[in-house]
Amino acid sequence: MYPIVSITVFLPLLGALFVLFIRKAPAQAVHGIGIVTSGLTLLGAILMWSRGVNETGFAQFEQINWMPSIGAAYRVGVDGISLPLVLLTAILFFVTFIYSARVRKQSHAFVALMLLLETASIGAFTALDAILFYVFFEVSLVSMYFMIAQWGHEDRQRAALMFFIYTFLGSLPLLLAILGLYLGSDPHTFDMRVWISNPPLEGIAAMLALVAMLITFAVKTPVFPFHTWLPAAHVQAPAAGSVILAGVMLKFGTYGLVRFALQMTPDAFREAGLVILVFGVIAALYGAFAALAQSDLKRMVAYTSINHMGYIIVGVAIAALATEPAIRATALDGSVLQMVSHGLVTGALFLLVGMLQDRAHTREMGQFGGLLKVVPMLGWSFVLAAFASLGLPGLAHFPAEFQIFLATLQVEPVAIIVILGIVITAGLYLRAIARVFLGETGEKWTTATMSDLNYRELLALGPLLVLIIVLGIAPAWVLDIIHKTTSALQL
Amino acid sequence: MNLIAIAILAPLSMALLTMLLRRQPAALALLGAAAGLLASLGLLTDAFNGRGSELILPGLPDMPLRLVATPLTALLSTLVAVVCSLVMVYAVGYMKKDNEKVRFFATLLLFASAMQTLVLAGDWILLLSAWELIGLSSYLLIGFWYSKPGVKTAATRAFLVTRSADLGLYIATFILVTSAGSTDIAATLDTRGGLAVAAGLLLLIAAMGKSAQTPLHDWLQRAMAGPTPVSALLHSATLVAAGAILLIRTAPMLPPETLLVIGIVGGVTTVVTGLMALGESDLKRMLAASTSSQYGLMLVAVGAGVPMAALLHLIAHAAIKSSLFLGAGVFQHSRDSTVLDKLRGIGRDRPKIFSGFVLAALALAGVPPLSGFFSKDAIIAASMNSANIWILLPFALAGTLLTGSYMARALRLLWQGNGKSRSVDGLAWMGAGLAGLVFLAIILGAAFPAVESLLGARLPENSQVQFLPVVLGLSAALCGLALGWFVPVHRLLGPLLPWSRQGFAIAGGFDNLIIRPVFFIARTCEKLERLLYESVLATGRAGLRLGQAVRLNDEQGIDGIIFSFVRCMVNLGGKARTLQSGLIHKELAISIVASAMILVFMLITLLVYQ
Repeated sequence: MYPIVSITVFLPLLGALFVLFIRKAPAQAVHGIGIVTSGLTLLGAILMWSRGVNETGFAQFEQINWMPSIGAAYRVGVDGISLPLVLLTAILFFVTFIYSARVRKQSHAFVALMLLLETASIGAFTALDAILFYVFFEVSLVSMYFMIAQWGHEDRQRAALMFFIYTFLGSLPLLLAILGLYLGSDPHTFDMRVWISNPPLEGIAAMLALVAMLITFAVKTPVFPFHTWLPAAHVQAPAAGSVILAGVMLKFGTYGLVRFALQMTPDAFREAGLVILVFGVIAALYGAFAALAQSDLKRMVAYTSINHMGYIIVGVAIAALATEPAIRATALDGSVLQMVSHGLVTGALFLLVGMLQDRAHTREMGQFGGLLKVVPMLGWSFVLAAFASLGLPGLAHFPAEFQIFLATLQVEPVAIIVILGIVITAGLYLRAIARVFLGETGEKWTTATMSDLNYRELLALGPLLVLIIVLGIAPAWVLDIIHKTTSALQL
Repeated sequence: MNLIAIAILAPLSMALLTMLLRRQPAALALLGAAAGLLASLGLLTDAFNGRGSELILPGLPDMPLRLVATPLTALLSTLVAVVCSLVMVYAVGYMKKDNEKVRFFATLLLFASAMQTLVLAGDWILLLSAWELIGLSSYLLIGFWYSKPGVKTAATRAFLVTRSADLGLYIATFILVTSAGSTDIAATLDTRGGLAVAAGLLLLIAAMGKSAQTPLHDWLQRAMAGPTPVSALLHSATLVAAGAILLIRTAPMLPPETLLVIGIVGGVTTVVTGLMALGESDLKRMLAASTSSQYGLMLVAVGAGVPMAALLHLIAHAAIKSSLFLGAGVFQHSRDSTVLDKLRGIGRDRPKIFSGFVLAALALAGVPPLSGFFSKDAIIAASMNSANIWILLPFALAGTLLTGSYMARALRLLWQGNGKSRSVDGLAWMGAGLAGLVFLAIILGAAFPAVESLLGARLPENSQVQFLPVVLGLSAALCGLALGWFVPVHRLLGPLLPWSRQGFAIAGGFDNLIIRPVFFIARTCEKLERLLYESVLATGRAGLRLGQAVRLNDEQGIDGIIFSFVRCMVNLGGKARTLQSGLIHKELAISIVASAMILVFMLITLLVYQ
């Protein structure tokens, strides 16, 4: 048996090193390497998928001694919560590489950085050692900082700095919590499996560790009022950066919420469940309302992320508060599926906004009108992705949100107020579609000044749109994997 | 293969094929509709022979998706398929000159498929999905001519109003699924008590949105911006019908309190939108208001506890209203308008089409022996047998009276006066579709006893007053027809006329009551957002300044601090930022190289040890 998890994690890093060695290669070749490497990584992720997960605990476990004296080791493996995220990450990086193939500014550095980011992202989802997780987590942060600072738009320096300070300061509490968990475990170890099967902290210590973790993941997810870095970062980030930031890196927050906060300090989480639920509800509604007020298309999509991530927080909080295992499984199924759906849908939306910006050099909705006639393929793709994002049945978000809301009503009926969010998002997307794509075509935009999607763009976008529909119509192929873990989860 | 699957997949697969091939859309559409119709007829035959069928598909964990063919769902499926097929025949002619036929027929097929899913759905998740998907397809169809002024608002409004109301269906679904522990619709109908009241009221909200009941009736008239075959389809057996179908299917569960509310909502709607139809100056908008009014009558029947009467009226109305719209579409093409003033005298120019229109109008008014007479009679009888006779009967009679009046007024305006018509392409196709539907509108009444025996639910019979509903209903209908034909509308409505033309909006209606507050909240969030952002930046700046001050203090001692502080203030953020971010750049570069080295190290160890 090949160590397929480790190969998948480190393949992009090898690609990055390779790119740095061939400094004189032309840009096309470098992008080719990027695409091939991420394609092979995707293949690895698919192989991991075919090997599946176990009924309990982690599957495909791989371990190498690293610092035995302190109980830290290289440990990776997957379960039903992380495996879908690994596949999502591999897919998103692959399409982003295709989309970015025309980047000419420092293409070597760009491809290398993206590949490093891919290793860090897949690494963070598969790491089963807290130190390893933290390393991957931080590396991803630094790579994203450079992505925004080097390839971003006008005001990129400030946005990059804000992103870095926010999430860097935000990740320090996690380090404290990890140390706390380490000191609480007996014998001392950084093995996350041990911490999950036998939570090391109790009482006030567990609560303090939980609060520390919640701060980190609330910044990362992000949750109101820790979210101000997100719109700033998205608006300035290049389209590729936005896709990865929203599609993959926000999931660190919610993945951490489940993996660390919920699984390692379950009792404290249950006690604080109501507070977390309130934060989730506020985030979902606030994100939707704030998105409605935007006139910049990209900012709007960024704010809808806060709304969708809010549903995940609600789902996880409900899972903690639920007493029946079946309801808990429903809530967690929905939350994990929502992470995947959000990655696909928001990834597609950010690609589309990027494509629009490439053509028009603006993202102000007021500048557009009637574009459906000018660029029909781009327009209809946006309509499809927008309807997916507003939770239309038959598209990716619906099964996830349905499960979250169903469990919410069963556990905490008052919190069902969060469902108002799906009407607000419907309103804001329809408004955006009407302003940008419907109505009369202005004189500014004609088929001469704006061309429809080309092959590169179709190749990048196509897989995401197909998956959005497939996941909406037949979510079972993902839910089966997720459900295997969530239905056996001991809290 | 299962007939249920064919009924749904035939139109769907043809929609996909149309989009792929991008040619012969009309032929593919007719093929898809015909195959679907055959499957539906097969289901109905099975139902008559006492056979049902079921299709179970994988859905969410422990929540499979179900499609069921019961007598009721098979009947509704057939109704949908018949109307869809005839409207498609008509659309071949109507869309002859449009150059986006592919998109039109593909969306129409998608719509037909979603509607079949809705009527055949046997579990709540599938019902909810189909419910929202017909919302999407109607959004696409209403917005079909999206470059025309006003169209995008109409489509957006239609989707938003119905989706807001859909929250009722979402929450009702959660309640029912939770209390029954299953998503099977049949299993959840045993719900009783407070939960049933709550779920019933929530279902009513959803139905009010889809069936355009007061106060959510405004979107339906705006939806007239779409092509006329679309209006014919949406208003008869499909989109708008979904609300009534939902209540008919869940009627066994609804407790008396909820039924009364349903009856009152329907009654108020039938009067309010009936008055709107009477005052309307546009033929299609008048027909739209009439649709709301007729669905109000169906809700009165459901409220009276006789969903069977509502179902009969639904069937009759489907044929009648689609006939009326199809006739209106021909008039529209002849005069390039639907404003009643411009359509004056069209009846003399298009006598064949107009005679079909007249028959359908009389059927809607409830003139025997046309189909509408029987269904309206059933509704009036139902309200008379209800415990709430003194609430429901006046509504039912007022609705009947108004129906007669506005149809007679429309007939008068279309017949009298003069105008100039131009020749119309594709009249043969349009005529064929229309003829089929008018034929149904005339004879469907004869099929009602068969429907009753199929569903095993008989209409209530009260031997003592058997003739009374007929007398009351007929006199209301005839009075209405006479009033509408002989009395001008400004005399009929008087001071109500201007208000009725604004859709009886209270306090500015939807815009003032819903949209403005929502945008107010959104703008408040945006202000808060700016405030947060600024304060974070200010904190960052303050931190940078503090750091710099401390450094200068170290370098230059106490004396320098005042000087440097002043300089700091002068320099403000700009210079400090560039300096500082440069520094962080360097530190980050170091840390990224270090992290990369750690990763490489781990990779090497991995390769060595594995």
